Amino acid sequence: MQLHQVETEHLHPIETVDDLKFYLYTAIQLEHATIPPYLTAMYSIHPGTNKDVYDLIRVVVVEEMLHLTLAANLMNAIGGIPDLTGEGFVPSYPTYLPNGETDFKVGLGKFSEETIDTFLNIERPPLPTDSLKGGSKHSFGLTNTKRSRKLLIPAFKSADGDELHFYSIGEFYRAIGDGITKLTQELGEENVFTGDPSKQITPEYYYSGGGEIIPIYNEEDALAAIRLISEQGEGHDGGIFDYEGELSHYYRFQQIKLGQYYHEGDEPNAPSGGPLAIDWDSVYPIQSNPRITDYPEGSELKTAAMDFNIFYKNFLEQLTIALNGQPDQLISAVGGMFRIKEMSYQLMRNPISDDNENTGAPTFEIDAIS
Amino acid sequence: METYQENLNVFLDLSVVLTDFSSYELQGTGQLEAYYSTIIDVIGESNMVEVLDAFTLAKTNANGNETELEKQIRIQLLSNDKLGPITRNIIKMWFIGNWYQLPNIWRETYGAYEKDETFVVSAIAYTEGLLWPTIGSHPPGAKAPGYATWIDAPQISKV
Amino acid sequence: MKKILTNFNEANNQHIYNMRHKQKVVDHKTALNKEYDAVIVGSGISGSIVAKELSQKGYSVLILEAGPGKDLTISGYEKYINQFYSAVSKDNNAPYKRNPNAPMPRSVDVKKLEPGKPNTDSYLVQNGPFISDFTYSRVVGGTTMHFESKTPRMLPEDFNILTRYGHGLDWPMEYEDLMPYYRKAEFEMGVSGDVSSQTFSNEKAYEDDYVFPMLEMPPSYLDQCVAKDLDGTEINVAGETKTLKIRTFPQGRNGIPNNDYKKFNNGELFKPVGAVSEHQAEEGERCQGNNNCTPICPVQAKYDARKTLAKALENGGVDILPQTVASRVVIDPVTQKVSAIVYKSYEDINSEKHTTGTITANLFILAANAVENARLMLASGLNGSSDLMGRNLMDHPYILTWALLPEVAGTTRGTICTSGISDIRNGDFRKEQAAFAVDIHNDGWGWATGSPNTNLEDIVDNKNKFGKELRNELVHQISKQLLLANMVEMMPEPSNRITVDPKYVDRLGNPRPIVTMHLPEYTMKGIAFARQMSRQIFQRLGAEDYSTYSTEDYGYVEYKGEGYAIRGGNHLAGTHVMGTDPSNSVVDANQKSWDHSNLYLVGAGSMPTIGSSNTTLTMAALCFKSIDAMVNDLKELQASKQTSKQL
Repeated sequence: MQLHQVETEHLHPIETVDDLKFYLYTAIQLEHATIPPYLTAMYSIHPGTNKDVYDLIRVVVVEEMLHLTLAANLMNAIGGIPDLTGEGFVPSYPTYLPNGETDFKVGLGKFSEETIDTFLNIERPPLPTDSLKGGSKHSFGLTNTKRSRKLLIPAFKSADGDELHFYSIGEFYRAIGDGITKLTQELGEENVFTGDPSKQITPEYYYSGGGEIIPIYNEEDALAAIRLISEQGEGHDGGIFDYEGELSHYYRFQQIKLGQYYHEGDEPNAPSGGPLAIDWDSVYPIQSNPRITDYPEGSELKTAAMDFNIFYKNFLEQLTIALNGQPDQLISAVGGMFRIKEMSYQLMRNPISDDNENTGAPTFEIDAIS
Repeated sequence: METYQENLNVFLDLSVVLTDFSSYELQGTGQLEAYYSTIIDVIGESNMVEVLDAFTLAKTNANGNETELEKQIRIQLLSNDKLGPITRNIIKMWFIGNWYQLPNIWRETYGAYEKDETFVVSAIAYTEGLLWPTIGSHPPGAKAPGYATWIDAPQISKV
Repeated sequence: MKKILTNFNEANNQHIYNMRHKQKVVDHKTALNKEYDAVIVGSGISGSIVAKELSQKGYSVLILEAGPGKDLTISGYEKYINQFYSAVSKDNNAPYKRNPNAPMPRSVDVKKLEPGKPNTDSYLVQNGPFISDFTYSRVVGGTTMHFESKTPRMLPEDFNILTRYGHGLDWPMEYEDLMPYYRKAEFEMGVSGDVSSQTFSNEKAYEDDYVFPMLEMPPSYLDQCVAKDLDGTEINVAGETKTLKIRTFPQGRNGIPNNDYKKFNNGELFKPVGAVSEHQAEEGERCQGNNNCTPICPVQAKYDARKTLAKALENGGVDILPQTVASRVVIDPVTQKVSAIVYKSYEDINSEKHTTGTITANLFILAANAVENARLMLASGLNGSSDLMGRNLMDHPYILTWALLPEVAGTTRGTICTSGISDIRNGDFRKEQAAFAVDIHNDGWGWATGSPNTNLEDIVDNKNKFGKELRNELVHQISKQLLLANMVEMMPEPSNRITVDPKYVDRLGNPRPIVTMHLPEYTMKGIAFARQMSRQIFQRLGAEDYSTYSTEDYGYVEYKGEGYAIRGGNHLAGTHVMGTDPSNSVVDANQKSWDHSNLYLVGAGSMPTIGSSNTTLTMAALCFKSIDAMVNDLKELQASKQTSKQL
């Protein structure tokens, strides 16, 4: 399926609707990219154990699914084409995300302290803009630090040719919001929001979680969606809760790290709620960042891992169809998540070989499928 | 430890023959060790070893011939008054997650073990029963396939 | 956007109660120190609706619940699910631990009646002659916790069936009077369905353009296999010809909100209600096809009364006292009003230790279900001036028929039931015999035979299959299963009744219900006809009929030379029947006691007949309808209290 391919390698300041489309393509990709690591950690937990942890991660995954759908609604609202099937859409893990002055690795790994540290990095709240220092060149959250080539958010090319990078995911979304406002002012709302309204995912087709889906027809809807995405991730106004009173992702994960729940009225980093029971050992010993080539030639495990990738590729194709004018398809696409879980469990319960103490796991090597 | 792993492997081999599910699929349920230890827990290790030895003999006699192996399974295990009921319990456990109390005649002849009553091995064992994938379905109350999936014909893998 | 500001620690499984409900589960000391406008006995659908509506109007309400109250949290609910997974018998009450302090009937406890003496071994004392395996649940949310959530309305014809067909009782109201409240009930229960398929009444049953809040649950593959060969079959019933058509049933289950419903919802799309006390991120789960509506929906896509109860508790003004069994209704000898309810409360379901207390209020509402309402009144010596308390006990007897289809139909998938036959629900034949509705059971033969476990046992133990042959035989024996559950109308008869006897008490000393029941000829005719119709259906489908009824079955009944094993429907009704005056009924059309002016007995016990409709939707509608009368009474009661204080 060839829906839409943005050929730009660099981001520019958002000057045109096409620029905005490229940002949104990146946003959709970014929202998706966090899901395989979260699912891998979640399913590596022995079913029936670590209930608290499982539920905490699941809430975040469900919200990421909502963010992805919202980003697709944004794309459709401005006449773009959400596409989850293009080459490189699913990153090769480990991949990199920006974290202030440095990048950090996001990989596929079992539930462990190290993995939770990674999740905390993914969801780290942005620093207030005025506290940016050092390499920061611009007031809107860019830095000229050297970044990894596998970084998920493309580099930003400044007018004088410098390669700049967003300080964190928060700054990236801020740039999208600013871009929408700017374009709406310059071009008029009706010339920005030109998409086919029937392509919007509406609450009939999406209601099982993460807050409510927002169909987007104008600037106000668009900014509301961006606000929802940002705050569910990072909290509202530097606090630990979002504007709906929900704990933001960073602090949800921090509870696992600290082994304690947050309670109403708590300050950041100092939860005072009940203890959170964690059994780090009730976890399948999966191989980190596995590749199909790691699995023995001719083994059932290898076949199953390839089947998983084909299934996941189909899943992304079905999602893409749903997000491009067939919203009713979304229901069965989401139903496919059930198979993803079952297939993951099977992989994770099978040793890679007799002399390898690790078990398999999904590799998410989607581009490798011909 | 060595013997444990060896015995477990024989149990896995036996289970593949009894269920016609592959070792990947059986291990994929996560229940291999749970069932193995349930049997030992209920009727003791020596009975388990007897079953495994009989299977090993059946395999040796069959010498790689599949039809002959099936026949040998009936000779060495299923029609054996002591090992038959245990073997049938192994099959049922894989398919539905239950240990069934052994027949009265078995209990009278070979001992009424205290833990030998009908029970569900565990909540997870119930949800991992092989009966459900066999019929292209899922255990009631778990692993639901999603809204409206029930309108299509079931996907049953031919065997 | 929804604002929920206090549920941040919902995922905290260490906390027993969610913050939203936590403060609402009160202790006895707190409750006794407060003055409540109304006390409600029971937190099932009737009690929860009344609590929610009264509290919305500003009244303070206390609910007494006999069962434990941990069900309002996700972790409490998950314990139910795990208990269900681990239970050998997966009967309707399998998710709940046995609670001798507030016992509930379980089908596994039922046994055949020995001639000459009642069955007294389990909670229900059964006199016979018909032994029913009906159940209900004494937990927060009541029997909606295990109900299947089918929500057909009663038919306009059902409301004056005596006048029309010479059987049963007329209602003290017309269908039209209940119509607006049916709509409220369908909103509350979140009904998915297709109004345009509900065409078996000869009268106008829905407003123009009315649609249910959500689209119909899509018919299962099994339904489609049956429909393609069955639709159009003509059946002769008492001289009338009926053409059969497979149609979906409306059900209280989250599906796809219907855009056309906006017209009936202030322009808003219907918002499905999800898991109780669950985190916002998981609210509003859609049905996933767990095939387990009964006994328990693992994702809470099915309506249960806790959804209404949670709203009631969030309103403020409603408190709930769990583990508190209403034991006696106390009447003021002068005014004949209820002055108090005596309760027994226990700390632990494993101990008989309990305390006794007395709770007062202006208005009292019994919402404990048809059997328990009557039991409580009778245990209090309140047989009613009409002596109708506990009488007219009704249920829907089920005759199950089962067969193997000639093709793989994918049985065991979908909700428990998506479609069935409703064409024999209405017609002139009702002069002669009972109406009935037929469910196609997506879960197969389980209810009748214990399938699929029994199939597996048979294939392995008797058919000596293993490996490939075993797998093929499982598909053959299970995936072609068709079970028709024929739900037959039963008319009220005063001799079918609940009584109590001091000889039979539970562990807390509360009298147990004694059931005396026979199946009237009118119903038996319907049962026999339903059995015969199934034969015709199976003949038409080329299906192998495996239905067989053992004389050893506890529900075995012979009629005209044929035997039938009959099952309870758990649609208990009629025990505090409503009517036009105190001589012919226990309550009036608003479910208010004729004898005690500050007492309401609500629920299906008020229903004079039940037609061929599952009772829950109608009882919900009746409760909505009764609210205005309750509010008027509360106003008057408050006014008269004030006057007496001034004097």
